[in-house]
Amino acid sequence: MAKVEQTAKDETGFEPKIVAFLCKWCSSAGSDLAGVSRLQYPSNAVPITIMCSGSMSPMFVLSAFNKGADGVLVSGCHPGDCHYLKGNFYARRKIYLVQKLLQFIGLENDRFRMSWVSAAEGAKFAQVMHDFVADIKKIGPQTRLKAKRP
Amino acid sequence: MIDVAQLKAHAKGLLEKGTVRTVFGYRKSTAGLLAEPAGITEAAQADDLIFDPSCVQNLALYLVNDKKHQAEKRSDDKRPVAVVAKGCDSRAITVLLQENHFPRESVHVIGVSCEGTGVVDASKLARKLGNKKALAVAFDGADAFAVTTNEGTQSIAAAEVMAERCLECRSAHPTLSDVVFGEAKAERGLHTPFQAVKAKIKESEGDRWAYWSRQFDRCLRCYACRSVCPMCYCDECVVDSINFVIAPDTTAEEKAERIKWIERSPAKSESAMYHMVRAIHLAGRCIDCAECERVCPVNIPLRLLNTRLEMEAFETFQYSPGSDPELPTLTSSFRDTDPNSFIR
Repeated sequence: MAKVEQTAKDETGFEPKIVAFLCKWCSSAGSDLAGVSRLQYPSNAVPITIMCSGSMSPMFVLSAFNKGADGVLVSGCHPGDCHYLKGNFYARRKIYLVQKLLQFIGLENDRFRMSWVSAAEGAKFAQVMHDFVADIKKIGPQTRLKAKRP
Repeated sequence: MIDVAQLKAHAKGLLEKGTVRTVFGYRKSTAGLLAEPAGITEAAQADDLIFDPSCVQNLALYLVNDKKHQAEKRSDDKRPVAVVAKGCDSRAITVLLQENHFPRESVHVIGVSCEGTGVVDASKLARKLGNKKALAVAFDGADAFAVTTNEGTQSIAAAEVMAERCLECRSAHPTLSDVVFGEAKAERGLHTPFQAVKAKIKESEGDRWAYWSRQFDRCLRCYACRSVCPMCYCDECVVDSINFVIAPDTTAEEKAERIKWIERSPAKSESAMYHMVRAIHLAGRCIDCAECERVCPVNIPLRLLNTRLEMEAFETFQYSPGSDPELPTLTSSFRDTDPNSFIR
């Protein structure tokens, strides 16, 4: 029991809350593969399946930060592999702009991330989550855009 | 130099023949230095039209508003409307055409060239004049304004009192017009574009946040920036949802659980959301008329925020909004060579 608690909490006791928007056809299946392959990865992410990374609205990202997410991940198919042929190309342009805006406002660079994870890359998904959680633990809780709600 | 008499004669001709419904232009305001926008429907009123450095407003907004009014009135008058457009205004019209907001034949663009100069920044001018009060301002040659004050007329170098965006303007000549008055001055190159953004980017993350959080904290959420923007034409805005019907039997729980992207209270986090949503929605659409910044009652540097993404559009995607109505918009197109290295 003591061992379980040790792995779940680090020294500071901060466990980041991450919202992961995963495309239905690749990244969502990739996260499934990580699960059925019994790969160990941090359980900090709340996965939300979207139909395509191209359907990702910048509102989702901003809203997640507003509601207290410490990090937001958008993940889709590799370029050229999109189920809808070019959705991820649109996403790439849009997400790039959102990232630049968030950086300009002064949100820490590491809080918003995009990755390409295919349905066969369970191990990569686990790695992406590992890295993301480790990076966010370093910068601490997100307070800048979080709404002060009762 | 623009011959205003020609502009008046052209507008008069259009209204006399009845080829246009209204002419949107500028006329001398009854209060203050800046001109006021005027919708002219009678040929006799066309003599009120002016064009001088005090004509700061972006009249493309009135095309958007006019479309709404025509729909509300259920008018079947299909005649086009004419609009006086500076370089920046014509770019705004181009973006609206790109987005199929109205058809090309429904607007008659009377282009006016700012030539070597641009429009005046009222606060810069007031600072320059000290305790004298500016009453009128006119073009004076290629790079000066003739400012009339209560103590007579004086000539001031345009670069000293020009609006910041005019100093960085890359095309002071209308890119889209049916008729154009004034000459095209190709390269003016007064300031390098995006210099304010570039200076801000060099600051540290913490400093940038301190700066923006101070700005957003001041926001009153009066939505003047939204009202004045010709690109903000959505019927329903994220900040005030109108499709949630509150009936007598709507419970408090239902009201509380409705989806609200942004709270209406002017809290810092909510204002930050509002301004970021607006900036994102303007990515690749903002033509830098800086009206949002001019109308802001608490002087939030909105132009700085909007030009951040314009800089990205221009430098990374080689896209400048309002250059060609046939071009797909920034976010509805892509290239294989778009940046990919930021993705893990």
